[in-house]
Parts: sequence; C-alpha cells; structure tokens
Amino acid sequence: MNARQDDLLDTNRRRWLMGSAAAGAAVWAAPSGQALAARLQTKAHVLIAGSGLGGLAVAHRLNQFLDGVRITIIDRKEEHNYQPGYTLVATGVWPVSKVRDRNADFMPAGVTWIKDMVAEFDPAGNAVVTASGVRVRYDYLVVATGTHQDWSQIEGMDISALGQHGLTSVYPSPEAAVATWTAMDAFRQKGGQAVMTLPATPLKCAGAPLKMTFMLRDRLAQAGTLDKSKVTFYSALGNVFGVNVVNDNVISRWNDLGIGVEYTQRLKAIDIGRRQATFASPEGNATEVPYDFIHVVPPMRAPDAIKDSDLAWKEGAFAAGGWLEVDKSTLQHRRFPNVFGIGDINGTPRGKTAATVKKSAPIVAQHLVDVMAGRQPGQTFDGYTSCPLIVKEGSAMLIEFDYEGRLTPSLPMVEPLQAGYFGWFMKYRLLKPAYMAVLKGRV
Amino acid sequence: MYEVWLGLNIFYEIALSLWPALAVLLLVWLGTVLWKRKDLKHVNARALLAVAVLGTSVATIALPSMSRSSLSDMGYWVDWAMLLATAAGLGVAAAVLIWPLLARAPDKT
Repeated sequence: MNARQDDLLDTNRRRWLMGSAAAGAAVWAAPSGQALAARLQTKAHVLIAGSGLGGLAVAHRLNQFLDGVRITIIDRKEEHNYQPGYTLVATGVWPVSKVRDRNADFMPAGVTWIKDMVAEFDPAGNAVVTASGVRVRYDYLVVATGTHQDWSQIEGMDISALGQHGLTSVYPSPEAAVATWTAMDAFRQKGGQAVMTLPATPLKCAGAPLKMTFMLRDRLAQAGTLDKSKVTFYSALGNVFGVNVVNDNVISRWNDLGIGVEYTQRLKAIDIGRRQATFASPEGNATEVPYDFIHVVPPMRAPDAIKDSDLAWKEGAFAAGGWLEVDKSTLQHRRFPNVFGIGDINGTPRGKTAATVKKSAPIVAQHLVDVMAGRQPGQTFDGYTSCPLIVKEGSAMLIEFDYEGRLTPSLPMVEPLQAGYFGWFMKYRLLKPAYMAVLKGRV
Repeated sequence: MYEVWLGLNIFYEIALSLWPALAVLLLVWLGTVLWKRKDLKHVNARALLAVAVLGTSVATIALPSMSRSSLSDMGYWVDWAMLLATAAGLGVAAAVLIWPLLARAPDKT
C-alpha cells in the first residue's frame, strides 16, 4: 500500500472516530434519514426495468420519498436470487436454498409488476415495448436490467453441460452454482489439471473468478490431492483484478500457493467432450490447453434491448459492450435527463456488485426526486464497490474501493488486505442480511 | 452513522430470519419471569456472571467452527475483537435467559 493510500485510510479513521459517537444517538433517535424528509407530491409514472437488487431498492425508496407516484416494475423473473452467495454455493459452503427467494415477497406495496421483459427502449418517446408487444409509457425511467452473459463468444460452450466433464461456471444461476460444486467435489477427489478463466469485458462481481480459484485450491488441499494437481488462471487481460494493490496482493498469494497465471489469454473455444480449451493471444495465436476441471467466466455486455437503443454509449470505452450512458457521479443518463441507471447495467468504471447498489440506490432515488422537483441532482457517487475476497474456507479480505481504485474501508480499523475471520464472517453470515436491508430500501 | 445504521439493520434482518424460534424463546422466558416474579430480586450475581463467562467462553470456541472457520483463521486483532464481542453478546444473552431460573428467595430458616 502506498503512502497516499495510507493517508486516505488514516483520514477515514479519524473521521469515523470523531463522528461515530454522536451518530449512534442520532440513529436511535431517527428510524431513517429519508423518513424525516417531506414527501414530494407527484402524479408521475416511474418505470423500473428490472427487479434485481437495484430495481427493488430504488422502488422501495421512491415509495418512501414520493406521495401519489405510480411505479411500475417490468421483469419476468419470479425468483429473486442472492447472487453474491453463488460463490459459497459453488464451493460447497452454503446450500442453494440460501440464494433463493421470491420476488413477490419484496415488491413494495402499491407497485404494479408487469411480468414481462423490456424488448425495446424508446427514450425519445418516453416509452418501452415489452417482449409481448405492449408499449408502456413513462415519465421517468430507471434502468436496472443487469448484464447479459454472452456465452456465444466462446465457441463450443454449452451451459446446459455445466457440472459434466469438469465444466463449471459460478455465474449463470443457482443451478449452475450447484453443478459447479458437484464437479468441483468430484475433481478434488482425484486432482488433475484445473483451468480458471477471466474474460476481457467488464464483469459483475469481478472478484468471483478469484474466489473460485482460491477456494478450488483450498478444496484440493483439504482433500489431500493438491500434490497431484495444477491450478492455472488464464486472464484475457494483463492483470487478474482492476485495482492494482489488490491485484498485486492476489498474485503474491497465488505465487505462495503455487497457482500459475497466464496473461492476455482469452478463452476462445472449448471442446467439452474432449476437455480441451483453446486460448487466443492478442497476436492471434491459439493455444490448446487440456484440463480435468475448468471454470468458465462468460464475457459480459448490456442486454440487447439496451445495447441496440439510444440509451447505450455510442463512443468511448463502454460503447462496445452497449452499456448505459450515465454520468458516473449522478448516475443520470447523459442525454435523457429523465432516465437513471442502477447496478450492473451502468457504463461506469468498476462497480458491478451488490455493494455498489447499496451505496448508489439512495443516490439514484434522491436524484430522481430532485429532477421531479426541478432541482439539479446534487449528490456525488464515488463508485463505491466492495468485494469480500475469500482466500480459503474460513478466511477472507474485505476489500472496498472507489472509481479511482483507492481502498476505502467503511470501518476504519479494517485492514483491506488482511485476510481473516472478520472478512469471512461478513461474507458467510452478515452480508445477506445487509443485502435484504438494502433491497427493502432501509439502508 | 451509516455503518451503525447498517449494523442495526443487519441485526434486525437476522432476528427476522429467526423469528419463530426467537418468539418461542421469548414466550418461554416471559413465562418463567412471571412464574418466578417474586424471586427475581434475589438473584445470585456470581452465578449470573459465571453463566455469562461460561457462555462467552463456549461461544468463543464454537463460533468459528459454526461459521466454517477456525481459530487459526484469526488474522489480526479485528478478527479477535469481532469474535470476542459476538461471543460476549451471546454470553450476556445466555445470562439474561437463565436469570429467572437462578432467582431464588433467601432461605428464612
């Protein structure tokens, strides 16, 4: 950690210590800050595309802030998944039931839920068209669609084969996480060649591929088959994590653990039956790598409905993925001021985690109210993201950072790069309750 | 302030997820308090403290393995502080639960 980051951490600690005593009393006195604010009278129609953590958290907050508002959520998905728990399911720590809930249980009172998907965004006409052809008009739009996992970029990939032939991926679904653990459990009994992958696109939970790698190595060690195994991480980038200080720490740990790293190697194709992966270098050279176990991370982009719409970035780093063109500080669309983005869909540097939603949902809701009231959005989102980076069963680092890649621990005593029980206990026991509180618009 | 509020909400959500068991426990505890209401003032403070210490000790040893970790995963003082604080909370809760059962009117003979 460099001197600048040390200074930043020290400053955070001082601020925290000075403010926390008075804050405790204030929290007990007021159930929540927004409850004290006067509710804005409006007859506006707010449409929220997506019912994941971001969409529901904003819906709950708008319900608190606004009186008379009409809120519609469009999403076909009836199951609500606690996606941050997938890595725990996929490594045999949690049962799958812990990541499964019903979306109906989390819908705010009075909200209209259209069980369909947005197929087309028409921001100039202030309307969307659903997959079943229904046109829905809005006054304000919150885009919370999440990412699209673009498996088609990997030739030969078939996610229905996950769990078979050593093929795994933590990303697609709870079922995929279960299948991943089934394959990992079988692999660790005998050991062998393990290939872990990382694509070059922005990812949701970019720490997940690293957690899977750490945990696989730990499971092999527990099973006593580590000496018969080789774990290699193939990154399509020049690093394994976007925050330099974290990247260096992980690489150092992997060196000590005997985990190899190959850089600028993109998973181009896979032969599932032959257990053969093909990686491509930037120069176009292809390398075939045999494996007994592979963890595949899909390239990600915006869903077609966003990517093909006027809402997507048209130039710059986020245009290729078709990500939502929002101002990174206000999360307001840069060309359509009645449109906001929340969560993974945003074309912003970093920040595709539940923790990002935790800090940005209150800002998006407040800014939407500001715009309705004729005010300029006045808060600044710093890109806060968090990643409880598991390094073995029972131990994790609690890493928090901002857009600039600066470490920004919420609790001043926490050493972000120190692995231990605190980070693990947060991940294992406390972060799902925190997620629920965010989802319900209380935190 | 934000972290304190977050912590309270985490506590609330955990309690919410356990509410049937907590409700039964509370009812049993309230019943015991009512039953022993005349003796509640005559509690043996030493015994109560012993229960709290015992509860804290057991929780300190048991909590890591109950959360699929171990004492060897304690990396630095924050890990120990959180473990001990959680264990102490459980120890105090155990003492409060046991309190009515330990209450006994002084022998008049």
